[in-house]
Amino acid sequence: MTTVNWWKTLRAVPSWVYPATLGVFLLVLPALQPGYSVTRQVELTLILALIVSGLNLSLGYAGQLAIGQVAMYAAGAYTAGIIAVAGVTDILVQLLAAGLAALVVGIVTGIPGLRLGSWSLAMTSFFLVLLVPDIVSIFEEHTGGQLGLSGIPGATLLGFELTPTHFYLTVVTVTILWFAAFRNIIASRHGIAFQVLKQSPVLASSVGMSVFRVKLSGYATGAIPAGLAGALFANLDLFVSLEAFGFHVATGALAASILGGSVSVYGAVLGAAVVEYASSQSDSFQEYSLVFFGLFLLIGGVLMSGGVAGVARTFVARLDRAAGLAGRGPSKAGDGEAIHRIEGGLLDATGVSKAFGGNQVLTDVSLRAEPGRVTALIGPNGSGKTTLLNLVCGYYRRDAGEITLDGTPIRTAATHRIARLGVARTFQTPLIPPGITVRDVVASGRYTVEGTSFAGAILRTPRFRAIQRRDRQRADEMLRLVGLEDVADTEAATLPLGMRRMLEVARALVAEPKVLLLDEAASGLDEGEVETLAGVIRRIRDAGCTIILVEHNFGLVLSLADEIVVLARGSVLASGTPSDIANDPRVRDEYLGASDADVRPDDSVTEPAARQETP
Amino acid sequence: MTLIYAGLSLGAVYALVAIGYNIVFVASRSFNFAQAQLMMIGAFVAYTGHVTLGLPAIVVVALAMVVVMLVAAILERVAVRPVADHQTQLITTLGFGTVLTGLAQLIWGSQPLDVPFFGAKEAMTLFGGRLYSFELGLIVLSVVLVAVIHLYNRRMMSGLAIVAMSQDDEAAVLRGINVRKLAFAAFAITGLLAGLMGFFIGPKTFAVATLGSALALKGFVALAIGGFGSFYGGLVGGFVVGLVEEHAARYLGSEFSNLSVFLILILVLMLRPTGLFGQTQERTV
Amino acid sequence: MTDPLLTVEHLATGYGDLRAVWDVSFQVWPGRITVLLGRNGSGKTTSLRAVAGLNPVHGGTMTYDGRSLESVAAHGRVALGVSYVQEGKRVFRTQTVRENLLLGGYSLKLRRRALENELDRIYELFPILHDKRDDPAGSLSGGQQQMVAIGQALMAKPRLLMLDEPSGGLAPSVVAEVMARVSALKDSGLAILLVEQAVEAAVDVADHVTVIDIGKVVVSSPVGEIDDLERIKDACMGR
Repeated sequence: MTTVNWWKTLRAVPSWVYPATLGVFLLVLPALQPGYSVTRQVELTLILALIVSGLNLSLGYAGQLAIGQVAMYAAGAYTAGIIAVAGVTDILVQLLAAGLAALVVGIVTGIPGLRLGSWSLAMTSFFLVLLVPDIVSIFEEHTGGQLGLSGIPGATLLGFELTPTHFYLTVVTVTILWFAAFRNIIASRHGIAFQVLKQSPVLASSVGMSVFRVKLSGYATGAIPAGLAGALFANLDLFVSLEAFGFHVATGALAASILGGSVSVYGAVLGAAVVEYASSQSDSFQEYSLVFFGLFLLIGGVLMSGGVAGVARTFVARLDRAAGLAGRGPSKAGDGEAIHRIEGGLLDATGVSKAFGGNQVLTDVSLRAEPGRVTALIGPNGSGKTTLLNLVCGYYRRDAGEITLDGTPIRTAATHRIARLGVARTFQTPLIPPGITVRDVVASGRYTVEGTSFAGAILRTPRFRAIQRRDRQRADEMLRLVGLEDVADTEAATLPLGMRRMLEVARALVAEPKVLLLDEAASGLDEGEVETLAGVIRRIRDAGCTIILVEHNFGLVLSLADEIVVLARGSVLASGTPSDIANDPRVRDEYLGASDADVRPDDSVTEPAARQETP
Repeated sequence: MTLIYAGLSLGAVYALVAIGYNIVFVASRSFNFAQAQLMMIGAFVAYTGHVTLGLPAIVVVALAMVVVMLVAAILERVAVRPVADHQTQLITTLGFGTVLTGLAQLIWGSQPLDVPFFGAKEAMTLFGGRLYSFELGLIVLSVVLVAVIHLYNRRMMSGLAIVAMSQDDEAAVLRGINVRKLAFAAFAITGLLAGLMGFFIGPKTFAVATLGSALALKGFVALAIGGFGSFYGGLVGGFVVGLVEEHAARYLGSEFSNLSVFLILILVLMLRPTGLFGQTQERTV
Repeated sequence: MTDPLLTVEHLATGYGDLRAVWDVSFQVWPGRITVLLGRNGSGKTTSLRAVAGLNPVHGGTMTYDGRSLESVAAHGRVALGVSYVQEGKRVFRTQTVRENLLLGGYSLKLRRRALENELDRIYELFPILHDKRDDPAGSLSGGQQQMVAIGQALMAKPRLLMLDEPSGGLAPSVVAEVMARVSALKDSGLAILLVEQAVEAAVDVADHVTVIDIGKVVVSSPVGEIDDLERIKDACMGR
């Protein structure tokens, strides 16, 4: 019991205290007169930690295989060195210039990644490391070429020359400030947005995120710390040589990231410390260093996907459970909870057609969904339901027809813009990013409501805090509505399917959409869960939202829908009230293949894109 | 002509890397970042067999093939099979490759070692250009390998099965094909071939531990130009990279050769992401 | 009646933790056709996939020829005589018709030369495939692709043939032809499990009908005992 109590006390301390303590310790370290080799070791570790934190941001959080941080590090170092030789010795100016240089390199090399998949980005960014020596020799007169850039004057700060101790404090301060900024980005909408993007670009755009912008900001923020590290490195020895930017270093940085845990903030410091300590050991160890880096990557990749930080988190969670700090089980969807009035929108699709290759999947389909009503879309396999849904969301370009929301035309192929107009959806297979809490998943649905900037997140401005408070408030309201408030702090991806479906409904609803699209929300749920879901849907409808329901469960559709549209072979077969549809013999024949069925055009029922839809 | 031979033989090296990537890609949709390191090990084993032990050439080839096949089998078991998603496999195979580089440095040192080849030491003259026997050997090997693989995939049941897997692995399972076993076999065969390749590339590139990274990247460019999964494409892509690299070095200066290859990579990826001959595009999600 | 070749009892299965089938039981006998009916989303395909070994089994048992199927990997079940023709004509599109059929016999573990001799069985059944044998399978019409898919399955000399919506996307005349071929196959003693949405066409050839809705069996009976097509249809529609 004593261990448990001791743990409770420890956990009562806010988590930022531990890194802050380390920071303060490093700041007062010179007072202990630790000697040159220790401070230098710390400096090198922190420089590596900066590079690794960039990797963690782009690779770990945003899931982009941009692993050429060493090239950005080189860009920062040479930029700082060259302007120093030219007479600009102020460390602040150098940091700024180096950060900008790295930013440019990061964004330019990220461009292929905007269009292409992981391998291409990994290869182009790694290729950069190969190019560093060539580019350095092309600009030999400025960079010193193979011989290295020497003659860098000592750094100054606002006109004062920095002593080694001052410089040490500069390195520590820059690192602390960056990690504080890093932590603030991660613990904000932008950090959540990175993880949403990592899970699925489709999901990201469905909550209104521009995949283009989120990716680009991932590359950009991943490059900056590498540039800062470069500027510090150039001033550490006042000498820049190519050896510092080879594959050996690139692999070491990657190994440190994987070892410390890519999806973590402070894991970067830990990983960097291990790798730097190992590299600094006797020559015999250096010979083995590549073997060890390789093993870190291999074992880190295979065994502990979260690195040391992940293992620590699992351990903390286990102790939390033992100490009774973890959340309780789920509760029933809150029946009495008042739900805000939602301004629904009139979704009007007329004459919509779509063909994939030669297959005409939808022909002249019209659909009208009104506020405060549930419009169900049913039909046999391949009748075009999901295609229609995806046309409304803008995943495909339609061949003909018009879709309007409250009279505003919905243009094609800009999914995140359509989401911002007020169209929210859930997915056949729930898309829940791993590693974030239930509350954060719901809050990620508010990405487009009340914009916040990176700067706001980093500086924690009053405006940012107010918005963050509202994010939490609204998320909690939604969780009460769907009955998940008791698991708000649980990791969302670990919830069972029924709860994950409810969670998707909450996420879709938190931005107060005009139209809510539910794609087979009841599939895989047991009877009790279906009942709960039906209750929630009814209350959302009664609040005024426009609901479009694609569903196989006939009983649910008949009991829930105000209007049913039956699609068959790409056109509207019938539409009307549930009792109309239930008594329409054509509907049953369409499902069950009547003997006098019309001749089906060959292959017309296959939807080539359907298989890619569930990511 | 001499320049073209140099470009083609260098290109053949990249084409061989691309062949290795492609075999694994076709069989299991994975990307084996350690392919070039497997070939590097092959070159070192060839050096040891040839120079240190003084074994006859045919024994050296067999030895290199067997050793690298075993290494590739271990690679599949420890770095590929236990990892579900292809993105993490990139990290783990890179890790395995790094271990190989490190071990090679420990065993053979970091100085480049000259691997001898059969036949004359002097360059011969062919169609007004000069080339070495090992350069001719490389070009012939890459072309012959691609042709053999093509025939294998059309004639042999296991070849047919691998092509089928690459199209629809679930449907392949339903025909009774043991997809996992074949994917493993593909890795082992890649190792076997990498051993053979190592014997051929050693004389051209020297056996040196740091060979891997540059080779891995240029081989990828060959793959990107040719298209993922296309063996002919990888061959053409390799030759393109080799020729561009040699010409850029000759006319612009050696520091521009990598840069020109990089530019081609970016251009191809942006303009034709499926490559020149590719049908399957790399998954973007 | 002979003993059933396949007995599925209280099967629960799905995709990952998404459960699509809650409690499904059915049997298939040699020389007879069992038809599994139900609307889309009712769990028919998921049940077949579980028998083929593609989906994990969460509960229930599958007994084939007196043994449990669960310990056998998916590709191994083909060698035991379980052949599954998926919906949507999933042939290997870039490979020729002949190559597709040869791959169908992969589980026989024969050399290619020996397998070539087996092709005649299939060409006899579907003469059109002989004419098209060197064309890429993807270039064939939908009906012909369906024949390739069935031909592939038959190449493995199965004892249990599972057909998932063989009529899907085909013109009625082709559906009739496919159904006639399916019906003829049972005479050789093959046990056939047919999944269909087209109730009438399927009941015409069926010996036994099982209807499922939302992952549960609602009707299961030999065809002779239920002649009321309307009742089956209502059951399919969840009434």
